[in-house]
Amino acid sequence: MSVRLVISWLLVAVLLGYGIIETLITAVKLFE
Amino acid sequence: MSLLSALDRQHTVAPAGYSRWLIPPAALSVHLCIGQVYATSVYKNSFVQHFGVSQTAIGIIFSIAIVMLGLSAAIGGTWVEANGPRKAMFVSACFWATGFLVGALGIGTEQLWLVYLGYGVLGGIGLGIGYISPVSTLIKWFPDRPGLATGLAIMGFGGGALIASPLSRQLLSAYDAHYDPNVATSVASGGSLVWLFLTLGIGYFVIMMFGVANIRVPAPGWRPDGWDPSTVAKKPLVTTANVAAANAIKTRSFWLLWIVLFCNVTAGIGILEQASPMIQDFFRDNGVSSVSVAAAGGFVGVLSLFNMAGRFAWSSTSDLIGRKPIYMVYLGVGMVLYALLALTGSTATALFVLLAGVILSFYGGGFATVPAYLRDLFGTYQVGAIHGRLLTAWSAAGVAGPLIVNGFLDAQGKPGTLTASAYRPALFTMVGVLAIGFIANLLIRPVPERYHEPAQTTTPLEKEAAA
Repeated sequence: MSVRLVISWLLVAVLLGYGIIETLITAVKLFE
Repeated sequence: MSLLSALDRQHTVAPAGYSRWLIPPAALSVHLCIGQVYATSVYKNSFVQHFGVSQTAIGIIFSIAIVMLGLSAAIGGTWVEANGPRKAMFVSACFWATGFLVGALGIGTEQLWLVYLGYGVLGGIGLGIGYISPVSTLIKWFPDRPGLATGLAIMGFGGGALIASPLSRQLLSAYDAHYDPNVATSVASGGSLVWLFLTLGIGYFVIMMFGVANIRVPAPGWRPDGWDPSTVAKKPLVTTANVAAANAIKTRSFWLLWIVLFCNVTAGIGILEQASPMIQDFFRDNGVSSVSVAAAGGFVGVLSLFNMAGRFAWSSTSDLIGRKPIYMVYLGVGMVLYALLALTGSTATALFVLLAGVILSFYGGGFATVPAYLRDLFGTYQVGAIHGRLLTAWSAAGVAGPLIVNGFLDAQGKPGTLTASAYRPALFTMVGVLAIGFIANLLIRPVPERYHEPAQTTTPLEKEAAA
């Protein structure tokens, strides 16, 4: 069960993390 | 057991010891995929070039998808409740992926109607079914914190655009060496658009299958450790009774909540749809804006982050302070922020971004909190189906919001020449829209007993056990 939990949340973290980092890179241009 | 029967509700009941924390990532794996619908602007210009049609003709693809979202959620809500979240997620994944594949065929053969049919109609059905599929299940797994649970899932819908926008740009760059996403006038080739749609369709289907594999409904009588159901009834406006979807739409509270959601979404979507040109116009002096196109793109990114964060943060907060008070914040404080944006927004970029960001966080919070509000008013019996019917307010607001803003702006002058003052009539109109929603929220009352289901038929878990 714990392995399943880790994999499930890891998938979400990778997807969301990618989106947030990429968006922050774009957002920085607002304050350049 | 055949594949299809494995998807049935009765084969989805969780075994003892199944962690409820597997349900939010299952829900997120669906919402993160279908949230792509808010990233269609990335390839809009490439579509215009490829099909040789107007911006409006391409914009219709998105409009069809959103209308189909509302319709399929409203019509399919009862089916989702009856068949369970696993089958609903599977059907959603099939429609969503098929929408991309048929869309790819349309791009490849230069048949725009196939894109309307594929991404718009089929994909839109996948959107509607997928959006509501995990909601009632989450509420049943998290009776102690329904706002947090639905906030997590619906945050994923906002997060989906954050993922799809950069991913689509990077994929198009990989498939078309001549395409440069950093150049506003650069457009991707038809071939690369076909490959983009094929990649997204297959990729999203695989990710959504994680949700299908992990989703479970709680066993009959299950409750979280240490949770006392009697604490629910002590909160104002929270019922322990249940109301069927067919009866819910006969109640005054349903339609008042419909107005609340409509007003909150109309106000937010007005800014969201106009975000990039709006910040440039607010800081235009002598015909020249001090905000570059790239910076305006950054502003859209900031708004997306506020929109996503608001879904989780505000919806979780509603578990602590209650649903009616949190909507008083969204709508009441929202009115003040809109007025401040109109009157002082052009004084400093940071102030403008902060005001617009908080407004967008209320917009996202309104979406994420509404399933828990419905649970409070109508119980858990058919909350998914009731939620589906309520989402027609989203479709209506998706038309009304841009119409209000664009209508006022068209009367003020041509795009590229507008200034902050041109936005004031539209922004003050939104203050009025929010005021209507604020009053509607105040008028919401507990549902009269005559609409309650008889006690012996109300618990879906008992129905499952009987089945």
